Amino acid sequence: MLAEEGEGYTPPGSGDFKLPPLVDNLEWFTKPYLMALVSVGILVALFYFAARRPQLVPSRLQFAGEGIYGFVRRDLARDIIGSNDFLKFLPLIFSLFIFIALNNVFGIIPFIQFPTMSLIGFPIALTLIVWITYNWVGMRRQGVVGYFKNMMFPPGVPSWVYILLAPLELVSTVFVRPLTLSLRLFANMFAGHLLLIVFILGGEYMLVEGEGVVKVLSIGAFAMGIVMTFFELLVQLLQAYIFALLTALYIAGAMSEEH
Amino acid sequence: MDTLLVVRAAGEDPNPLVPHVAEIIVGLIAFGILYYFVAKFVVPRFEKAFAERTEAIEGGLAKAEVAQAQAAAALEQYQAQLADARGEAGQIREEARAQGAAILAEMRQQAQAESDRLVAGAQAQIEAERAAAVASLHAEVGTLASELAEKIVGESLSDDERQQRVIDRFIADLENQPSGRAT
Amino acid sequence: MEGTLNAVGYGLAAIGPGIGVGLIFAAYIQGVARQPEARSVLQPIAFLGFALAEALALFGLVLAFVL
Repeated sequence: MLAEEGEGYTPPGSGDFKLPPLVDNLEWFTKPYLMALVSVGILVALFYFAARRPQLVPSRLQFAGEGIYGFVRRDLARDIIGSNDFLKFLPLIFSLFIFIALNNVFGIIPFIQFPTMSLIGFPIALTLIVWITYNWVGMRRQGVVGYFKNMMFPPGVPSWVYILLAPLELVSTVFVRPLTLSLRLFANMFAGHLLLIVFILGGEYMLVEGEGVVKVLSIGAFAMGIVMTFFELLVQLLQAYIFALLTALYIAGAMSEEH
Repeated sequence: MDTLLVVRAAGEDPNPLVPHVAEIIVGLIAFGILYYFVAKFVVPRFEKAFAERTEAIEGGLAKAEVAQAQAAAALEQYQAQLADARGEAGQIREEARAQGAAILAEMRQQAQAESDRLVAGAQAQIEAERAAAVASLHAEVGTLASELAEKIVGESLSDDERQQRVIDRFIADLENQPSGRAT
Repeated sequence: MEGTLNAVGYGLAAIGPGIGVGLIFAAYIQGVARQPEARSVLQPIAFLGFALAEALALFGLVLAFVL
């Protein structure tokens, strides 16, 4: 690790994700917890004012809210789940999208600069809801036996393949899906935050502790940090999109008879 | 799964894959609040707005269709009226022509009748005058003839009665003879 | 030098899924480019495949932290 050249430099690591408690008495209550709650407050306020008095010709805030809502409704819910049943799951998908998107974007908002979802507990909480939802929907739609039968023995496959396919499908649907869903979100936010820390803190260290050319080179590190910040914005929104999209896909898959 | 894992012993850094239970609980609570709000407030409101907008657009279309139909009906009516008016005008013209012809014929007839009447009156007058002339000639010729005969014969024919008889006979003879010789 | 071989292992483990995800999206883009109307059909398949392929990379990440 090239960072070892400086004597006082400690490379950023997972220790950077353990933040000091905000209140002395509450050991567990750190910044991300507050951010998760604040994000809910922001979203509730935002969409309360956007949807408070919906009008035929929308106000600017209503237009913005409707834009996000319409996008999730059309691209994520209706196109994937189908126009018959999507309204039932629209609140879930929409909440997931805006919750994850805002909490991810917290990672690059100045003074907050910490993605809530880089603490794996939060993705796990969301995944838990998704996992319960799509399994429950599948069992309700097709019956418990029918759900597992359709899952493990999809039609149109030579019978000897089932030996391999059935356990794979079971593991994939019941275990791998929630695991990857939460890990993908967590890993992207974790790595993205780490990336920004490396560039910004590294640049800071070069600027403060370095001499001569190294001081100048810190500009490159900061510039890269800024570029990466915009890249992170893209990744953060994309991850929110993918999480909501996969939720819709899993629900749609559980509802349809064939896989 | 991850709760079973032990924090890496080697470094002081905590394993980022080990979730804190507090994170899950706070995450669930936060998301639960958001979900409740979205499900109870945002989605119904926006769905209502979307439905209203769709209805407004479709209603506008329907209204436009009605207006178009009305315009088409009005045009048709107007054209029908125009055709009616045109037909009526033609009829009136035809009637006028017929009336004019009738008037003309009547006038002609009247003129004919007038002329006939005039002709008939003239003829009658001529006839009457001729009759009068004949009558006066009748008397005068008799007198002249008798005077002439008296002069020729030298015989007084003063006896009126006889004289009359003779004249009558003479006239009768004259009338019975071919007219050329009568006068 | 300090650090663990786990990071190297994860780097190696990410090669396969990286190629796999690339192939999946290459095929998806090609399919949509050839038949734009097939987009709604291809999208779920592409993203399910992507999720499955990326699962391997995520397993690698888990193992890198766990071992």
